[in-house]
Amino acid sequence: MRVLTPEGDHLDFMTLNMGPSHPATHGTLRIFCALDGETMKAAVCEMGYLHRGFEKMVEQGTYSMVLPYTDRLNYCSAMINNIGFCKAVEKMFNVTVPERCITLRVVLIELSRIIDHLVCSCTNLVDLGALTNFWYFFNTREEVYKIWEKLCGQRLTNTVTRIGGMYRDAYPGFEDDVRKVLVKIEAAVAEVRGLIEHNKIFIDRTKDVCVVSAEEAISYGWTGPCLRASGVDRDLRKDEPYYGYETYQFDTVVGETGDTFDRIMIRLYEMLESVSIVRQALDRLKPGPVNAPDARLSLPDRDRVYHDMEALINSFKLIYEGVRPPPGECYDAIEAANGELGFHITSDGGTNPYRIKVRPPCFTQYAAFGPMCEGEMIADAAATLGSINIIAGELDR
Amino acid sequence: MFLFDWIQAHPYQTVGLILPIAIPLILFQVLPLLVLLERRGAAFIQDRVGPSRAYIPIPGTGLRIRAFGMLYNMTDLVKLLFKENFVPPFAFKSFYWLAPAIPVATGLLTPALLPWFAPIAYQDGSAIGVLPGTLITTSSGLLLLFALGSLSVYGVVLGSWSSNSKFSLLGGMRASAMMISYEVSMGLSVLGMLLIVGSFDLTQIVDWQGHHTWGMFVQPVGFLLFLVSMFAECNRNPFDVAEGESEIVGGFHTEYAGVKFMMFMTGEYLHVLVASALLATLYAGGYELLPFPMPMFVDTGVGTSEVVWQWLDTYWIKAHLGGVLAVMLGMTGLLLIGFAWLIAGRRANYARQKAQDRDLRMREYALYTGAFSVLGIGMILGAIMSGLFLHTEPISRAGALAAYSVPIYPGWVDAVTAVIQFHVVIGKTMLFAWLFIWVRWTLPRFRYDQIMGLGWKVMLNIALVNLLITAIVAKAIGGGR
Repeated sequence: MRVLTPEGDHLDFMTLNMGPSHPATHGTLRIFCALDGETMKAAVCEMGYLHRGFEKMVEQGTYSMVLPYTDRLNYCSAMINNIGFCKAVEKMFNVTVPERCITLRVVLIELSRIIDHLVCSCTNLVDLGALTNFWYFFNTREEVYKIWEKLCGQRLTNTVTRIGGMYRDAYPGFEDDVRKVLVKIEAAVAEVRGLIEHNKIFIDRTKDVCVVSAEEAISYGWTGPCLRASGVDRDLRKDEPYYGYETYQFDTVVGETGDTFDRIMIRLYEMLESVSIVRQALDRLKPGPVNAPDARLSLPDRDRVYHDMEALINSFKLIYEGVRPPPGECYDAIEAANGELGFHITSDGGTNPYRIKVRPPCFTQYAAFGPMCEGEMIADAAATLGSINIIAGELDR
Repeated sequence: MFLFDWIQAHPYQTVGLILPIAIPLILFQVLPLLVLLERRGAAFIQDRVGPSRAYIPIPGTGLRIRAFGMLYNMTDLVKLLFKENFVPPFAFKSFYWLAPAIPVATGLLTPALLPWFAPIAYQDGSAIGVLPGTLITTSSGLLLLFALGSLSVYGVVLGSWSSNSKFSLLGGMRASAMMISYEVSMGLSVLGMLLIVGSFDLTQIVDWQGHHTWGMFVQPVGFLLFLVSMFAECNRNPFDVAEGESEIVGGFHTEYAGVKFMMFMTGEYLHVLVASALLATLYAGGYELLPFPMPMFVDTGVGTSEVVWQWLDTYWIKAHLGGVLAVMLGMTGLLLIGFAWLIAGRRANYARQKAQDRDLRMREYALYTGAFSVLGIGMILGAIMSGLFLHTEPISRAGALAAYSVPIYPGWVDAVTAVIQFHVVIGKTMLFAWLFIWVRWTLPRFRYDQIMGLGWKVMLNIALVNLLITAIVAKAIGGGR
């Protein structure tokens, strides 16, 4: 590819298509770049290879039918999507879920955040050639998935919440299982940190690579760990607390330079913070109902359905028609593993959503990827793509 | 009949003629071991099960022999042989076909220059003949070895260029730049050793190590530099940028599949093997047993004994073959019994479980336990027997032969000694190969420009300083040769 510069020079570049099927893209992304040697002189990113039409699909069914679709947004931490969507709908109803449900959701959110970070970090390290870390993290993730299996019968796409509560209460022994897994998570993080944190090769590969300054990150609309890596202390759990996060003792991890090293390390340290939150939440977990006692949202007890006409009608209405949020618009966001996951729901009072707009965290991060890796080498681009954690499922929706 | 007569009359020459075929074949048998070591080692490091599925059913017994994952070599071979032999339509056909053969060919040629056992002196009529431990006897063995080793980069470069793919091209560019850069530090790092020994001949280098100490203690810096250069030469992690699977898909072998891909992989493992053998030869004493002399109590005849520091060199081995064999067989036997004990533990583990294939596995493990116990006990018995009853005496010489100072032993002593020494070399080679595997599964990958920086800015300088200091010290102490 010959390029004419404004100065009148003719430059020769090799064009290269990375993706849509490339080991570093972890899915279907396409990066079209102009190479001078191995340096990326220009890069154009393309998305849409995993577009399923989520936002149009969900208009065809009831609100409850949206839930399984949300699993497929960020499939690494499906429960956060479930909880985020349910929280948005509950906000439309202005309903507060019971205390046990909130605490349980906090446990699930933080465990999901941990497994999301596990996947992101270990695949990122695989991009750097450190393959062994992959198994250290995936073995731990498997332990969490065993809990998911017991909890809701599913591993990847959980659909664990319902609007107004949970699918069901946690199984007996849930707390012990989680506590055991937390120890394993801490051990795995310690092991991986031991392998990479002071490793000269790793530091050389990631320090001062694809730096994103705080201003740039904010201008791109970044959220979550990547924004915090750039040195901006922004965490919805602290800044706009929900589910009583303000009562938990934890720190937001903030980076300094916004390079790949910071983005990887922030995830490792955030896992430890999440572990501490889960421990605190488990201490608070008290027996009680998990579904809001609101006839508009929650199914009545089976026992009542069989003996009470009102309850039978209620059950029928909820099953056959679904919930009917009051007309209006609502935006609600939670701090997902990747950043701010927002649901903007418009309701016309009917049983189907009029419109649902998802604000996926990695959409803004992917927008910055092309400019980020201009002037960097291919290997750095691969490492950086891992560190900003693009999940094609929620990117393309 | 003439042939048999000649063989009977010239047993050593016959062996010398067979070795060039035998040693590459034996090394080809070591290769699957190395692949198994890589797989098992990776699984061990990565906390996973590793190869455990492929099996051979024994009809009638209900046994399934899995041989610890060894069968995966066979299944892989069959799979890769029967895959579609795809050639991309845009490839440059002749070079595309030629490229995978080059690494294998050079990998098979280089062992010819390594000493696998000490030269054997034998009685040839009225003269003394010598059967060398290398297949090609040349005073510039090391130079030839480096030349052959460097040729393998042609396979990578040709393969990447002829594939006519951009990812391949990037991989080939990385490989050629890297291998050429590391050639320099590799050559310079080994020069220190050559200066001290004063010879390019690998047999002499090993012989020197057998009477002084191993190279890695004399030249620790040179050893480390050579080790790192060898990682780079073999294209192994952390220097596997030419492959760089997460960045440039598969690097130079992106467009290769099936048996041609297998040839590249075979070449890589052969190179790991040769590099480990070279490290063992240059810096770990090759076929020599120990890096230090052993204190021996020599009876002075008047009831007291005197301590003599004795190097366990080839002549000592031949004179005390029974003892050496006893120690070696005993150690191997104990290791085998330990292994059998491990498997018995695994079997006991299975007995507690409710696995679906429990009985099958338990039968299999019982077989292994039995086999290895019997083998180990047999070896220990053999060790005891050889220690008690095996005594070797040099052939008494008369006439013109008496003038030679080297003791001549009967043929079987020579053969057993050579086999022991070959096993010593292979053992050390495997230890270094384990180092290769260990490093591969521990460290992340370098970036291509950082490799260049390390090679030219760091290692070259250290190698030069090391060479300079070595030269001064060698001149001051040894007087120079």
